[in-house]
Amino acid sequence: MKVQVLFFGATAEMVGERKIEINAKTGAKTGDVFRQIIADFPQLEKHSLLFAVNQEYSKGTETIKNGDELAIFTAVSGG
Amino acid sequence: MKTDFFEITTDALDVGAIARRVVPKTCGAIVTLDGFVRQFTKKRETLYLEYEAYEPMALKEMEKLIAQAYEQFEIANVGVVHRLGKMEIGETSVVISVAAPHRRAAFEACEWLIKELKRTVPIWKKEVYRDGEIWIEGEKQSAEN
Repeated sequence: MKVQVLFFGATAEMVGERKIEINAKTGAKTGDVFRQIIADFPQLEKHSLLFAVNQEYSKGTETIKNGDELAIFTAVSGG
Repeated sequence: MKTDFFEITTDALDVGAIARRVVPKTCGAIVTLDGFVRQFTKKRETLYLEYEAYEPMALKEMEKLIAQAYEQFEIANVGVVHRLGKMEIGETSVVISVAAPHRRAAFEACEWLIKELKRTVPIWKKEVYRDGEIWIEGEKQSAEN
């Protein structure tokens, strides 16, 4: 299954991309994908990260569906 | 009639015009926050800021905050507008305007809305200094709750 992973601000700079596409196994949880990406880009590890699935905050427990839009970003700083 | 709005734009923000959009005849007060670019944070001088957002999610989160504000405060209308892109010192980055029959609820709701916006709405600022730049990261928190 293909899913998109979006990065913003600090995470986009750390990863060097604003969007990547990855293949996930059937039945995988969103948290598995997030952990895999952090393993692939260990520079993310020391930051306080937030995760989203289809534009909602995620705790990593959803089962991945084909075409899901995931996002990884640092704690927000608007205002 | 409700005239709530929540928007993201790269245009300059007209604070007064945004505030007027939230005023029904039943209200006796509006409280408006004009959040703008600060020059000095502690002793470090900022040259300018750059904001970016995860726009569709940011709009969803703003809409949720407005709904939650109505559950907690006796308010009549809410407007939230956040600007994105490069902003110079003194330029307005965020406007939150709350109209209410009585002022106390308007003050409390406005304070609550900016506090929650800074915790949950996926927008980030990069501070650019003379000697470097940094993406500001919010407090370690539980925005996902």
